[in-house]
Amino acid sequence: MMKTRNVILHESQIMKIHYITAIAALFVVAVHILMRLIMPYDMSLQYENVVVNYRNIPYALLLESILVLIAIHGFNGLRIILLELRQNKTWENGITIFTITAMIAIIAYGTRTIIMTNQLGLE
Amino acid sequence: MESPKESKYDRNNREGLKGWLNPSRYGWERVSYWLQRLTGVFLLIYFIGHVYETSSLTRGPDAWNAMLELTQTPWGHLFLILVIGTSTFHSANGIRLIFTEAGKGLGKPGRPDYPYDAMSLNYRQKSGIWVALILAAVAMLYGSSVLLGGE
Repeated sequence: MMKTRNVILHESQIMKIHYITAIAALFVVAVHILMRLIMPYDMSLQYENVVVNYRNIPYALLLESILVLIAIHGFNGLRIILLELRQNKTWENGITIFTITAMIAIIAYGTRTIIMTNQLGLE
Repeated sequence: MESPKESKYDRNNREGLKGWLNPSRYGWERVSYWLQRLTGVFLLIYFIGHVYETSSLTRGPDAWNAMLELTQTPWGHLFLILVIGTSTFHSANGIRLIFTEAGKGLGKPGRPDYPYDAMSLNYRQKSGIWVALILAAVAMLYGSSVLLGGE
């Protein structure tokens, strides 16, 4: 009988996470885009307007959720593509470690921007 | 047959990237498979760039405006229109794939008669791919009107 590897999450569970993050991201990204359209596009990108967005706590939370959802979905998607190209233990473990590290790094960097901009004072 | 050097769990895909790019197996489903992956990788690169771009906010208005000068150009707008098209296709085709994974739209299993067309690759799947492509084109047109039309 074939022995199964010890895994934290099975691929079927990871795919469920992949689909759930995709559907959730659709909604939050739609709100994020609508925020660019409630005023003329160029005006919505002015520094003061963007910082006001970040200082709004619900909107900052929305940005954080976009960051987390898309990082999980995007890097898991990249992992799936890379696993389709080659299959062996070393490659699979290496790809998993690389994608999880990249995911954590981008979430940390984006969160830093959200927190720092949220605390900026406008003169 | 498994060679003695391979572990029980190794399943080497010998074709690798060549198998992925092989045009001889193209049908609409194959084009959709390919586009889903290409748009996904493109959007991931855009996402990383966007997170970096917005981090200039923390360095004050001058850094933000300098970043806008780089991105809010005709080429920058064309790039954004491409982002709009790829994200719309990726989303719409992704919804089709979620339904497919849940077994919706695959039809009933049938006897494999010549010319052995797979029952699962039916008009529902094909029209789903076309809907995704049409929605992407419409979104790009709307994006163009906002970004290039000065609305």
